[in-house]
Amino acid sequence: MLHNKVKELRARFGFTQGDLGERVGVTRQTIGFIEKGNFSPSITLALKMAREFEIKVDELFWLEGEKKL
Amino acid sequence: MKKDFRVQYPLWQMAFIVLFGFFVFSVTSATTELINSTDEFSYSFELATFESLLLLGSISLTLVLGAIFASKIAKHNKQHPTQKLTMWQIRPLEFLEQDEGMTHITRKAAQKVYTFFVWALPALVAIYLVFELSRFWMILGILFLALMQYIIYYLEVRKHLKEVED
Repeated sequence: MLHNKVKELRARFGFTQGDLGERVGVTRQTIGFIEKGNFSPSITLALKMAREFEIKVDELFWLEGEKKL
Repeated sequence: MKKDFRVQYPLWQMAFIVLFGFFVFSVTSATTELINSTDEFSYSFELATFESLLLLGSISLTLVLGAIFASKIAKHNKQHPTQKLTMWQIRPLEFLEQDEGMTHITRKAAQKVYTFFVWALPALVAIYLVFELSRFWMILGILFLALMQYIIYYLEVRKHLKEVED
């Protein structure tokens, strides 16, 4: 399972799910699915999201059992 | 979530299927007479009062619902000019693949529907083979499968969208 800190960073940057979705070109629901861990984004979307938060992809997403960076 | 056409669309389909069921019931209940001889060719059918009312009612309601459905599509198209829909497209309207997340839940719902049909179709064939059923019951069986398809689809999509709304 893929874990992430999208929700945490989104709150820090003051984005709503809709704001972030608009910035990376997806719906608000897709951001919700990612935050809940129900859906693993494509590499393209993961890169776009990491870019919005100005961090590396593996700092934003990590696999279960792996250490959070 | 309630305004999402993905959630609403299967409900509309279910309503149309139920109305079509009433239509089929009234038409299959009619007493039909076919005369095909060298002198005459005629076809007539006679409906009882209840069946006539049911037929007229189901047709009228289908037309009213169809008009409301068309206005909903027009409203959706106005709000989403880049994702315009039409009632007459070959591709089912539920595939409104807006983005990868929504595509993901459509796929999950479609997988459940496919699994249902893998079992339901042979079961229906077996029932038709074993029992001698009238035209009405055969059509009703098919409509039941169609209704189940949309119920499964609706519940799956609703479940995922509700999760992210909470």
